[in-house]
Amino acid sequence: MPYADPESDDPQELVGVELPGSEAQTREMAAAFAEEFAQLGYTRAQILALYRRAEYAGAHRAWRLLGEDQIVRVVDESLAVWGRIRRVVIDAPACGAPDPPTWVRRRS
Amino acid sequence: MPTVRNWQLGREMSYPYDARFPSRQFAFVFNINRCIACQSCTMACKSTWTFNKGQEHMWWANVETKPYGGYPQWWDARILARLEEANPAGQVWGGAPADARFGPYGVFEGTTIFEAAATTLTPDSARVLGYLPADDEWNAPNIYEDNPVGKRGVRNQLDPTGEQLPEHKTWFFYLARICNHCSYPACLAACPRKAIYKRPEDGIVLLDQAECRGYRKCVEACPYKKSMYRGNTRTSEKCIACFPRVEGTDPETGGEPMETRCMAACIGQIRMQGLVQIAADGTWAEDRQNPLYYLVHVAKVALPLYPQFGTQPNGYYIPPRWVPRPYLRQMFGPGVDQAIDSYVNPSRELLAVLQLFRRSNRIIDRYEIQEGPKVYEGSLRGRKVELFNDTVIAFGRSGREIFRTTIEEPIHVRTNAHANSI
Ligand code: SF4
Ligand code: SF4
Ligand code: SF4
Repeated sequence: MPYADPESDDPQELVGVELPGSEAQTREMAAAFAEEFAQLGYTRAQILALYRRAEYAGAHRAWRLLGEDQIVRVVDESLAVWGRIRRVVIDAPACGAPDPPTWVRRRS
Repeated sequence: MPTVRNWQLGREMSYPYDARFPSRQFAFVFNINRCIACQSCTMACKSTWTFNKGQEHMWWANVETKPYGGYPQWWDARILARLEEANPAGQVWGGAPADARFGPYGVFEGTTIFEAAATTLTPDSARVLGYLPADDEWNAPNIYEDNPVGKRGVRNQLDPTGEQLPEHKTWFFYLARICNHCSYPACLAACPRKAIYKRPEDGIVLLDQAECRGYRKCVEACPYKKSMYRGNTRTSEKCIACFPRVEGTDPETGGEPMETRCMAACIGQIRMQGLVQIAADGTWAEDRQNPLYYLVHVAKVALPLYPQFGTQPNGYYIPPRWVPRPYLRQMFGPGVDQAIDSYVNPSRELLAVLQLFRRSNRIIDRYEIQEGPKVYEGSLRGRKVELFNDTVIAFGRSGREIFRTTIEEPIHVRTNAHANSI
């Protein structure tokens, strides 16, 4: 991690790379993250935090390019579909053990 | 050189040994769309297998930021360039994608690393086209990743915009990698001491430390650079696929095969690992209810990493949907467009199978879907979406149920204006 200032004559120095990208790709990336995290059960505040915080480089880059309003719209659209359901996971009882009630085995 | 059948390339190819197929094959699917580069997988492996002296530079599991990152640095660009040199403008796919288990992506018309060795390398004994990375190229599991850190001298505070160096102003994605436990391993092909072997019961590729003399031929040959040299023992080492877990010897599972450390630790829930059945001809035996078989051969959303190298790798990836297609086609072959299309417009069954990722650390052998009523129909960014209250049940190798997932009643989200109304 670059704690010190960059040293341009160090061959191991990190370098940034610019490749052509388009707004359509940025939009698609933002939509992909919103949909995936909505499917994982994250809340609106949690997903928005991913975009707003600089540590999540991909999502944050999209937030800076598209702006808060567009990101909020993308997140809300995703939650309107994937946020309406909650998946629950129910473990099978352990082998040979008495069958505990479902609510004991349930995780969400 | 003997000839073997490579189903991913849809053709025969030369390989230094006759084909031998395991009864089951260690395989995995990673869903790149979900990876957040948290490196929990990387650290799970590190803290289990490579924390000793002399292993400091070793990351059997790593996650790198593509297109610019790599461990070792530029590994894929360098081997692609060598292949291009060996066969200028000839590294192309032809034929048509087929529905069969042999040649599902068409036919690779270019040259593999084994074939290129025969035409470009001297002495003749060199069996695989590769290169030996320099020591300093192994220095970080994700070199060129610009992790945001605080300004120098400012404690407990991150940089507000996240970057200190020139930023990567582009699309990117995180590529998680481990050894692919290839069906035609380049590491095995290159070892002059035959210290590397592929296990007949699960296809895991292991490197016998007692036989290894540290010639580093495997390090040079593996196109994925997943065999690594350890200076203080003067031997090479590689991912062992956490074989004690896969064998079911961990007391926690009572004999059931368990997924590896790097799989079980995955925060983004991108990973699923299994043991697929292999047919006599080396293709995957039809096993319709196995989740990996479904993802690779039925839904066709998961594709091998750089199949053109020719090792028939057993790691499969659901490609990131936002990345330019030419880049993805080079990395995953011609199946990319269909894979992304299926992933973005998922079938009812695909949605169900995606629910199986990371719900348990047991290896799922088979799944069943109990269909329930439709709970939602609508559209999202122009795509039709239907959601069903289907119950997905996962079974282990012993045939016993491991878990089931289902949908709780739909949640009706009230608008802000009526948040408290009944
Ligand atoms: S990925 Fe490399 S080290 Fe692993 S089996 Fe294939 S050739 Fe060998
Ligand atoms: S399978 Fe096991 S040994 Fe291999 S990379 Fe993952 S944790 Fe490491
Ligand atoms: S643990 Fe999973 S989400 Fe995190 S970096 Fe590894 S593969 Fe990606």
